[in-house]
Amino acid sequence: MSFLLPAMLGALAALAIPILVHLRFREKDTPFRFPSLMFLERIPIRTAQRRRLMDWPLFLLRAAALALLVLAFARPYLPQRDTDAAVEGARAVVLLLDRSLSMSHREVWPAALDSARGIIDGTSDGDRIVLVAFDDAAEVVVPWTTDRSAVRAALDDLVPAARGTRFGSALRAARQLVADAGTTRLEVAVITDLQRTGVAGIAGLEMPAGLAIRPIDVSAASPANVAVSSVELRRSAGPPRATVAAQARLVARALPERRRVRATLTLNGRPAGTRDIDLPTEGELVVAFDAVAAPAGRITGMVTIDTDALPGDDTLHFALPRDDAVTVLLVTPTDAAANETLFFERALAIGEAPTIRVLPVSAARASAAQLADAGLVVLWDVAEPAALGPALQDWVRAGGGVVSVIGARQGARAAVSPVVPAQSGGMIERTAALPGTLGEVTLDHPLFAPFRDASAALSAVRFGRYPRLEVADGASVLARFDDGLPAVIESRLGLGRALVIGAPLDPRGGDFPLQPAYLPFLRRLALHASGHAGAPLWRPSGESWALRATLRDPVVAAPDGSLERPATDSAGSAIVLRKSGLYSAYQSRVTGEPLDVVAVNAPSNESDLTPVDPREMLLGIRELSADAGSIATAPSAQELEARQGTWRWLLALVALLVLGETLLSTRGWRATARRSAVIPSDRSVV
Amino acid sequence: MPTAPAAFLDPQLLARIGDLALLARTVVDGFMAGLHRSARKGLSIDFAEHRQYQPGDDLRRIDWRAYARTDRFYVKEYEADTNAGLLIALDVSGSMDFGTAPLTKYVYARMLGASLAWLSQRQGDRVGLALLRGGTAEVIPPSTRHLQLMLHTLGRTQAAGASALPAALDRLAQVAQRAGIVVVISDCYEDPTALARAVGSLRARRHDVIVFHVIDPGERDFPFTNATTFEDAESGDRLPLRPEALAERYRALHAAHCAELRSRILATGADFVPVVTDRPLDVALYAFLDRRLATGRVR
Repeated sequence: MSFLLPAMLGALAALAIPILVHLRFREKDTPFRFPSLMFLERIPIRTAQRRRLMDWPLFLLRAAALALLVLAFARPYLPQRDTDAAVEGARAVVLLLDRSLSMSHREVWPAALDSARGIIDGTSDGDRIVLVAFDDAAEVVVPWTTDRSAVRAALDDLVPAARGTRFGSALRAARQLVADAGTTRLEVAVITDLQRTGVAGIAGLEMPAGLAIRPIDVSAASPANVAVSSVELRRSAGPPRATVAAQARLVARALPERRRVRATLTLNGRPAGTRDIDLPTEGELVVAFDAVAAPAGRITGMVTIDTDALPGDDTLHFALPRDDAVTVLLVTPTDAAANETLFFERALAIGEAPTIRVLPVSAARASAAQLADAGLVVLWDVAEPAALGPALQDWVRAGGGVVSVIGARQGARAAVSPVVPAQSGGMIERTAALPGTLGEVTLDHPLFAPFRDASAALSAVRFGRYPRLEVADGASVLARFDDGLPAVIESRLGLGRALVIGAPLDPRGGDFPLQPAYLPFLRRLALHASGHAGAPLWRPSGESWALRATLRDPVVAAPDGSLERPATDSAGSAIVLRKSGLYSAYQSRVTGEPLDVVAVNAPSNESDLTPVDPREMLLGIRELSADAGSIATAPSAQELEARQGTWRWLLALVALLVLGETLLSTRGWRATARRSAVIPSDRSVV
Repeated sequence: MPTAPAAFLDPQLLARIGDLALLARTVVDGFMAGLHRSARKGLSIDFAEHRQYQPGDDLRRIDWRAYARTDRFYVKEYEADTNAGLLIALDVSGSMDFGTAPLTKYVYARMLGASLAWLSQRQGDRVGLALLRGGTAEVIPPSTRHLQLMLHTLGRTQAAGASALPAALDRLAQVAQRAGIVVVISDCYEDPTALARAVGSLRARRHDVIVFHVIDPGERDFPFTNATTFEDAESGDRLPLRPEALAERYRALHAAHCAELRSRILATGADFVPVVTDRPLDVALYAFLDRRLATGRVR
């Protein structure tokens, strides 16, 4: 018998109370005032007799009632009774099989399958087994079953995946399975290559006390391995022609001797170069391929080296976006002066990675179709062209950006629209002696990130005339002039952004175009407003790929050709990248050129085959207490109640004892033992 | 010996009377009604003092000689008007606040003292009061006008504190220089030898001493049966006891104590009158009157 509240047993010390009452305080509860003890003190009295318990039955009854009351409050319960029977009964085995990339080693996977089959064959009829395949996540392949053939069949279908290793996720799954097993004769077998990099995160993991975890080491005899760890691509627009140059980083680990390998670059399915390299026994080496003509559009490819015992990391896939240039649709007024936007256009044209391409268009000729290729629309001192209509707002909500440059033409603009979150109340004219400057700038904002360490560059800009802007509801001011008027305003609209620039961007309103801050400001403005973010060349497997919001009814083709239609909700759509290779996203149907492509490779640490000592791996695992981590069957509510219901019987027994005590103390000689009456001392004649 | 109507002397009935003066008058009247009216008052022609004439005074008692000398009326007072001085020495220690009878010993003693004072006042004696507690004596000197003050003092006094009766009597002997009757009312929980010595010192100053030993039936018979802790009413000392096992020896010790008190106090020439609180007061009053007559204090 155990207790839910064992601390309550400390109250058993209260048993001393009746004893003390009997032995010490019994005579003192109401002392009898007597005129003088001078005669009584002369009489020899045997004190031992006075301290002897005079009424043993009554005392035992009271002590027993008190003890039982304490026991009842300590909530006794009966532990599971079928422990012994369970030990004698069927066995339950949790079979954890590592299927990470490192397990695809030529020597490892067959050994792992053989070990798994050995464990399956080692079970008896009636033994239950569960098969869990794990990499960086755990998957129950075959739930608890006694059908060994089914487990063997599932085992034959398993193949290593291009995924990382996390022992923690496997053991957590095992813990849950153990809890559901319904028996105490349990065993967890972990078939793995004991890759050291997979131990991360296992420290502090709590497992049931007494649970046997048996790592089965199937690692290769030698951790020697060569892998392509990364690739860098550099696109150059020319002249004379657009090229792309690639560099690959190779890693050699624990090689017995220097090894010569051939690295091959493949772009869009065609060989783009090969290099023969002498690898050291341990270390990294960068292989630079010759620049080749950049294929038109998106570039996908891979770098491959000669295969070794672990072929999964000998190829690294990548995908370079079709064109990472940002197209700026510059909408100019019909009465724009010659070269009015010259500084603006020239400043944006400078710079690469990404390049910014300005597409000027008169407001009268602007059309919604031009938005398709644009990343940013700049309204140069002009109202929203009617031809764009609501399409512009939809385009912004889908992720586009609009920058409204307010000049003299829009200086009296009274209207506020979602894409132009400000109105103007005329122009402010500053004198040459006291020109306007930027006073309050939110340097923490990404727009002003280039000036966080060089804010003086912005302070040096002088403005002669600028609009008196008033901020629309929901918009925020990123910068103000020295007189407090807004200079830069931003508002979010859906996934896109709308900015209003009050600071003159042409020489007529100030010297901004002539200042060093002009070029970084404009470039940052274009990238920020367009929402441009550099896409990685590849993603590690296991990550989630959030598809572009502009994709409607997306369908994704996996590297093995399988198709997946991700569910789309208000947050967009995403899929988990499980395989190594190229994932292609299409709209509605898999036809034509994919709208988006992402390359997926196994985590680079999977190439490190250094094993860990099994004891070291289990070192960080903590055992749960016997109660919390019991591997017994989780009892039902009725069973729990049955085990913990002893307190009711105890309380009933206490009630009986109290009743018996009452009867005993009020019957017989106990009832007649009374003191002689004494007159109260306050009884007085007066 | 004539007896008084029991209704006027029964302690249980007297306990219902709240006013001590009324109680005393009731006791004395009831007691005296059973006696033949006799000249029990003392006579004397010894001049005591002059006092100014007050309307209502007997014109025959005006001292005309004094009038001739002073042109004022003075009345002559004689010792015959104040036959004797009675000092009630009442033990007000905590041990007196005990009783298993209808009254506690203190209440009984207070009634006894008040009745004796009233009786003495009727006899024409001067009456005074001494409260004995812890070796000290709070004294109201005997006077013909102190009866009400004495009764009031008796009424507001409670029995509490330790007792040192011999020392208190020694102190009283020093204070009460004028010879008279000293009535000691106490439960006498003292060493008989020491108490007798103190009584002897009073006798040595020509006081007539009557010791009323107030006894509660419970402390005489010791009828207690239940095991309990006995607490000394004065010292607070406690003694866990099984009284039924000790009762016999206690009663023997108590009787021996009473006997020794009697013998030793009587040996000093004083009277020793044990009074039990469940008994009427007349026993004590007779004893007092007998002693009063025996003294023949008529000067």
